[in-house]
Amino acid sequence: MLELKGLSFSVVEKNENGEEKRRDIIDAMDFTFEAGKFYAITGPNGSGKTTLSRLIMGINQPTAGRIFFEGKDITGMTITERATAGISYSFQQPARFKGVTFRDLLSVAAKTEKEEKLLEIVRRVGICPLSFLDKPVDSTLSGGEIKKIELATTIARNPKLAIYDEPDTGIDLWTIMPMVNLLKKEQIEHKTTTIVVSHNRSFLDVADDILIVDHGKLRYHGNLKNALPMLNDFRICSFNPCPEGEQDAQCFR
Amino acid sequence: MLSALDKDLLKSVADLEDIPKGAYNIRKNGKLESRSVSAHINIESDEERDGIIVTIAPGTINESVHIPVILSESGLNDVVYNTFVVGAGSDVTIIAGCGIHCGGPEPEGHEGIHEFRVGKGAKVKYVEKHYAAGQGYGKRTLNPTTKVFLEENAHVEMELTQISGVDEANRINEAVLGAGSSLVIMERVMTEGDQKAVSRNEITLAGENSSANMVSRSVIKGNSRQNFYATMVARQKCFGHIECDAIIMDNGANETIPALRAEHPDAELSHEASIGKIAGDQLMKLMSLCLSYEEAVNMIIQGFLR
Ligand SMILES: Nc1ncnc2c1ncn2[C@@H]1O[C@H](COP(=O)(O)OP(=O)(O)OP(=O)(O)O)[C@@H](O)[C@H]1O
Ligand SMILES: [Mg+2]
Repeated sequence: MLELKGLSFSVVEKNENGEEKRRDIIDAMDFTFEAGKFYAITGPNGSGKTTLSRLIMGINQPTAGRIFFEGKDITGMTITERATAGISYSFQQPARFKGVTFRDLLSVAAKTEKEEKLLEIVRRVGICPLSFLDKPVDSTLSGGEIKKIELATTIARNPKLAIYDEPDTGIDLWTIMPMVNLLKKEQIEHKTTTIVVSHNRSFLDVADDILIVDHGKLRYHGNLKNALPMLNDFRICSFNPCPEGEQDAQCFR
Repeated sequence: MLSALDKDLLKSVADLEDIPKGAYNIRKNGKLESRSVSAHINIESDEERDGIIVTIAPGTINESVHIPVILSESGLNDVVYNTFVVGAGSDVTIIAGCGIHCGGPEPEGHEGIHEFRVGKGAKVKYVEKHYAAGQGYGKRTLNPTTKVFLEENAHVEMELTQISGVDEANRINEAVLGAGSSLVIMERVMTEGDQKAVSRNEITLAGENSSANMVSRSVIKGNSRQNFYATMVARQKCFGHIECDAIIMDNGANETIPALRAEHPDAELSHEASIGKIAGDQLMKLMSLCLSYEEAVNMIIQGFLR
């Protein structure tokens, strides 16, 4: 249902010597997401997971490659057009407004201001108390609260494709499992194609497929069991990058 | 008689569909249009200068006064001095506003000076809206001044709004706070085209344990310009905060200068100021909820000015 063909996002950066160098944050990625499946994307910090999500939503423009959604080339579409087509994205760092409440965002997402409809959505989402409705979505919200609200606005849209970018950051221990179950339930009941970017094992456990991204490339696609050796391998962690081609022990200290 | 046009202006500045209930004074084109007093609220014309004196009896609870001004005569410059004497322990809402309809080429304007003397323990909510409309290209000017004196433990909340269509506005807000009193000012101004708006505020925290919070929200569209100046002076142990945010769209310009002056070691004063474009992450979030770029901008501005 979602097809990435040679998708790239490159920026020009200056290296230590002041020379300009191209860096491929997403590097010629090819992949097809199948309808109705639950995907978990993981990978080290800075590997390109958020960038990939933003490319799909249309927030970033690819420097090469194309994106197809339900067979249609959406590469040139705006964010609004992609949203209208059924793509939805929960931001890793949700926007904070001034004077805009959760109710306002939810009404836009659900295209209704009817109280009973909004309450129904909040109940369906479950992880946000009803008292959240009139909270302003501003800098006074805690990190976990704003992530819950962000997730609720995505679900309220009834998207065909939902991308959640680290939905569990800042979420308390008691809410993680309800959140995992919620996304799983949404996938099953509404046939939502679901992509969750996460480092949390709980999401990997319920995913149909695991994708591991590293240095802008898809390193692995398959089930969790076969992914485990890679997930336990320190070499994939980029805090101590190895010079290319070198498999020297000292570089993964 | 109020014409359809007058009613339209009234609705914009005072949320009034028709003649209000309770005490009111409607001023039209520099003259008294109609007036009504209530058992606890008296309104009389000021003998010394053009304007009214509104006297609210001590202990008046849950009553309101409407004092809208409408101008629909091209070439008129209306100057008025209104005094509000709010009795101790009362709790009232005062709704003022000026609507200008400019149909002709001559300039039109209104200069309103509102002085409030708020008695001990009294609570006042003051709502003021300014709005101008009309096809005429006469310049529309509004220069409102408010002077507020709060006695011990009085509480005043002011909502000052300039909605649209005002070409030039020079606002002055002055307040002196007595012991234990508190003041909240929320000012919202939107300008567009070549409009200019200047707001000058001087808040003196004169009494012990007084507190003031001044919030200003500006939206500056087109080639318009807004300047905001606020000074808080602390003479006693007190608390004061200034928060001013401006969103600049198009080619607008803004100058924001919050100033704090403490003359007492236990004064706590702070300010936050920001000027910037509409935040990209807010736009993208709303667009990802299916809003178009323009709809997203509107929603952000509406919330910001709410
Ligand atoms: N517009 C941009 N210009 C320059 N560099 C960028 C840009 N966008 C992202 N990057 C860089 O690309 C890399 C990947 O960023 P991205 O946010 O996609 O990582 P991530 O995999 O989501 O990481 P995390 O797990 O920390 O959320 C980072 O090093 C980031 O600094
Ligand atoms: Mg990320």
